[in-house]
Parts: sequence; C-alpha cells; structure tokens
Amino acid sequence: MSEKKQQVTRRQFLNYTLTGLGGFMAAGMLAPMVRMAIDPVLQESGAGDMANVGLAVEDITNEPQRVDWTITQVDGWYESEVTKSAWVFVNENDEIQAFSPICTHLGCVVSWEGSEEYPDQFFCPCHNGRYYKDGTNVPGTPPTAPLSVYEHSVENGMLYLGQPIPRGEA
Amino acid sequence: MLQKIYDWIDERVDVTPIWRDIADHEVPEHVNPAHHFSAFVYCFGGLTFFVVVIQILSGMFLTMYYVPDIENAWRSVYYLQTEVAHGQIVRGMHHWGASVVVVMLLLHTCRVFFTGSYKKPRELNWMVGVLLFFVILGLGFTGYLLPWDNKAYFATQVGLEIAQQVPFIGDALRTLLAGDPTIVGAQTLARFFAIHVFFLPAALFALLGIHFILIRKQGISGPL
Amino acid sequence: MKKGKGMKFVGDSRISAERNPYIPKDYSEFPGRTEAFWPNYLLKEWLVGSVFLVGFLCLTLAHPSPLEGMADPTNASYIPLPDWYFLFLYELLKYEFASGNWTLMGILVLPGIAFGALFLAPFLDTGPGRRPHQRPVAVGMMLLGLVSVIWLTWSSAAPIDYQARAEQNRPIPPDEQVQVDTSHEGYAIYESNCMSCHGDALQGGGAGPTLIGIDRSAEEIAQIAREGVGSMPPDQFTGTDEELEQLVDFIMTVNEQAQQ
Repeated sequence: MSEKKQQVTRRQFLNYTLTGLGGFMAAGMLAPMVRMAIDPVLQESGAGDMANVGLAVEDITNEPQRVDWTITQVDGWYESEVTKSAWVFVNENDEIQAFSPICTHLGCVVSWEGSEEYPDQFFCPCHNGRYYKDGTNVPGTPPTAPLSVYEHSVENGMLYLGQPIPRGEA
Repeated sequence: MLQKIYDWIDERVDVTPIWRDIADHEVPEHVNPAHHFSAFVYCFGGLTFFVVVIQILSGMFLTMYYVPDIENAWRSVYYLQTEVAHGQIVRGMHHWGASVVVVMLLLHTCRVFFTGSYKKPRELNWMVGVLLFFVILGLGFTGYLLPWDNKAYFATQVGLEIAQQVPFIGDALRTLLAGDPTIVGAQTLARFFAIHVFFLPAALFALLGIHFILIRKQGISGPL
Repeated sequence: MKKGKGMKFVGDSRISAERNPYIPKDYSEFPGRTEAFWPNYLLKEWLVGSVFLVGFLCLTLAHPSPLEGMADPTNASYIPLPDWYFLFLYELLKYEFASGNWTLMGILVLPGIAFGALFLAPFLDTGPGRRPHQRPVAVGMMLLGLVSVIWLTWSSAAPIDYQARAEQNRPIPPDEQVQVDTSHEGYAIYESNCMSCHGDALQGGGAGPTLIGIDRSAEEIAQIAREGVGSMPPDQFTGTDEELEQLVDFIMTVNEQAQQ
C-alpha cells in the first residue's frame, strides 16, 4: 500500500453503488428465469426402467439376433411410443450380451454380418464401419469406440433391457 | 484488465462519445423525487419501461418451453407451471407484468396529460406514446390466447367477432387475424403467436427507440 | 474538434487518434438543484426500481398465474371474459346505444372518438397554458373519459365471482384425464343428451358438474337422467329404457376406468 490515502471520490462511490444496484435488479429478474431455463440440465437423469423386450432367455443363441421393442417415452409434455432395438447373443463365457445398434461413428444403424465381405462382424453401411463380435471396433475403420451395451436383467426367463451404456475407447 | 479491454475497443471504435451521450445529461430539480416528493409521478415512465424489460426477458425464457400448437400449447404451459422449477414464477412474472404494464402506462399517460407535457414541441412524442399504448394493448390481446385454455379461447372468439363487425373490411380483417373465416383454431394460434412474439415487439422496439430519442433531444418538460 | 489539417486518425479509419480525457460535466451552473443523470439520478431511479421489483416478485409469488382447463370449443356453457383492461370495451357493447343496430357505435365510433382524441390531443388542445386549470376543456374531457372507463370496468367486473370462475374451470392434469371410450354404445346417447352440460369427457362444465367420481348407483343415475336432481331439470334424457341402460352403463364404465 502506498502512503497516499486511497480516496474514493463521490462519483466513484455513486458508480459502484449504481453497479451494485443494477446487479441486484438484474439478478432479481433473471434468477427465476435462468433457473427455469437450466432445469433440464439439473434433472436427475432417470435411470430408465428395464423393459421386457419379448425375448425368452432360452431363445438367445450364439448368433446375434435383432430384437425390437417399444417404450413409452415422456418428453416434457409429450408422450410417445418409441421403438428401440438391440443385437442380443450369448458370448463364449455364457454371458448375455445386448449391443446398441447405433454406430459410435455418426449414429447410423449397424447390423450383424451386414456386409457379405465381413462375416462375423457388425457392419455399418454408412461409412463401412466394422465391429468384432464382442462389440469392439475394428481398428482402421471409422468408429472410435465399441458399441454401447444395454443393461440387462432376466426375470421369469424373459430378457429385460435398460439404457445403453457407452464403453470407453478401444 | 477491464480498462485495457475497454481502451482497446475505444481506440478502434471510439465508443466513449456514444454512451457518454446517453449518460451525460442533467436532470432538473422538479422531476427529482429527492427534492420534491410529488415528483414521484415522473417515475411512472421509467417503471413502465422496467416492466417492459421484465416482459421481454420473461417472454424470451417462456418460449423455451411453449409451443404454439393447439394440441400441445396448453399441455406445455401446464407442464411449465407444474413440472419445471420456477416455471410458475416466470409465467407469473409475464402474466402479472402484462397487467402491471398497463397500469403503469395509464399512470404515465395521466402524468403527461395533466402536466400538459404533450404541448409544443412535444406533439410527436405524445403520438408515439399513444401508438405505444396501442401496441401494448395489442400484445395483451394476442398474448391472452396463447395458453389455449378456455378463458383464452372464448375471449379471443369474442374479440374476433368484434373485428368482424367492422363495416366493409370486417370479414377480411377477421380472416387476416384468425387465419380462417370461421374457425378459431390451429392457424389462429400460430398467427397470434407470430404477432405476439415478432411483429408487435418489433413495433414496440422501434417506437420505444423513437420515444427515447425524442425525450433525449427535447429534454423533459419544464416545471409547471 | 479541431478542423482542417493536422488531424490524426487510427489507421485508415475515421476514428480520431487523439483521446480527450473525459471530464465529467458540471451542472452546478444550472438553475435549481439540477444533477447529473449518470450516476446521481439513475441511482435514485434504480432504488425506486428495486423496491418496485421486490414488490412485483412478491405479487408473483403470492398469486400464481391462473390457468384454466384446456380450450374446449364444444363447451357451450362457458361465459367468455376478456382480460380486465378490455372489460370497458366489452361492457360498452351491452348498452343499448352501442349494440343491436348501433353496434358500430360501440365498436368503432365511441372508441374511435375517444382514442382518436387521445392521439390528437396536442392538436386539439393548442393553447399555451400547461396547467390543468388553464385548459378546462381538455382536462374535463380526459376526466370524463377516465371516469367512464373506470365506471365501465367496475360495473363489468363487480358482478363477476372470479374465485368461483377459477374454481369451476380448474385444469385437469393430463394424467388424470379420462380416456372416454367413444366406441361404447352409450357414448352416442351421452353425446346427444348430456354432453352440452357435462362436457365431452364427463369433466363437467359451467352448467353441470363432473360425472367422474360420483358416488351413485346405476339406478340413481338412471333416475337423475329422467327426473333431474338439484338444479338439473327433469327430462334431460329423452329416449327408450334400453338406451337409458346403455347410457348408465357408459357412465359407470368411465367411472370404473377413472378409479384405476
């Protein structure tokens, strides 16, 4: 600190008070509005309910098969039925695997053995992206991450699927 | 830091005179409630503008949730009121603000009228002010329909009936407003939304700009 | 600003390179206690604004904005009501000289004269005097206009029971709205006999209460349809006994659905 007294002039004081008061008014007006606008961000992402996909566990084979099911999607004030799909199979360790068919490259839909040139692989027709059977992307093809995996559970011999969980980069 | 940014801009654009021109003018004693308490009547114009600012801001935020569609308009307003945090308050601000702005405007008009402030040389500004009054009433009328509840629907129907009774152009006027010669429905809502959110606010901004420039040019009317 | 040669600009722009230090203007030479708009006066104005804002926010918190049920064009019993600041125009149309053959008087001539005069006030009242007592005609007309607007608004609003209206038109939450089975054989009978008062989804309306959640047996419903109850007049239902049975069955099934 310098020895010289730091004087606040009357004008500066008024300016500071004015700014503070302006801030108060802006905050009073904007606080509820901003809170309203960011409400969707603050919503807890509802861990989606598991949905019965209409596939008996005993029908799941080593060969990936496509299952489609519909869920009721509540989007704010709008409710609709949306169709979801998955590729389901049993892997070597006898674990049920359910992959999301959404390509991790640009969101096209992949299919098992979708190309005759690449048997035993998931194939995306948009940019020739490929994935091995365990869902990991084939290096050198456009996708940079493995296919997402659905949470799954089994109740009364039926398969239930939840939300697709993305896997890290491979 | 802030000062440096300001200087950098000022060197290139020379902004100081622009805002100084707004900030540097004198306020005479007779309009200053700090000296004569009765001068509080001179606050109504400023308060009207303040509520208009609240209306613009809350309206902007409300359109984040509102959809102008007869199937979903009411649902989205209901959702906004019951499910969204503070949605009730923001819609409340817009709803009550619409009433408060009319009250303030009325008081401001009375102040200007009874102090005779519309006399030469301020005739133009008075007329701009009356046009602003009409624009605000128009905003109130078109905004009333938007929640698409019973109150909105039937009041709008009456309003359109009245428009229809205007001689010669009545039917055309009603169709122009409602988008259909007989139905009050999907097209009406879309039109009213467009008028409420784009056309009238545009007119409001233009007129407010003229209103303020004229006040700044002519200064506030002298003491009685 | 200095003119002519010697002016320096920033680059090739028209912005002067010379910066004049800003000196706040001094208004002390002005008559009276004139003060600067920024920051002296604006500070006071914003203090008023802050108090106003707090009051306004209290109002919005204390009174949630009203919302009635979703617009139902088939609701024949709804009495329309404009927002309060249009009530005076609405009330004006009830007067004899402003309705019927004279409707034009009410919707165009009278408001036209009033607002036209307001718009052209500076040209109608051209005298130099600004004090109200120096221009009695203008002030008198304005007072007359104000009083009549206030009177019209008051006489329009006074008989209205706003609370009852709000209560009657309370919105039904979307998830509580009952899906009415329109393919039910009783629906057509309901449509032609009951819907105008009890609404298209049995939700009730201005003239009739909701039929959902009523605690009545099938026999009672049938009897009421024939003989009326409370303010409901008798013989609202006109049809065969078989149709009455279908109607009662329809009302009962909707109620059973609603309970689930």
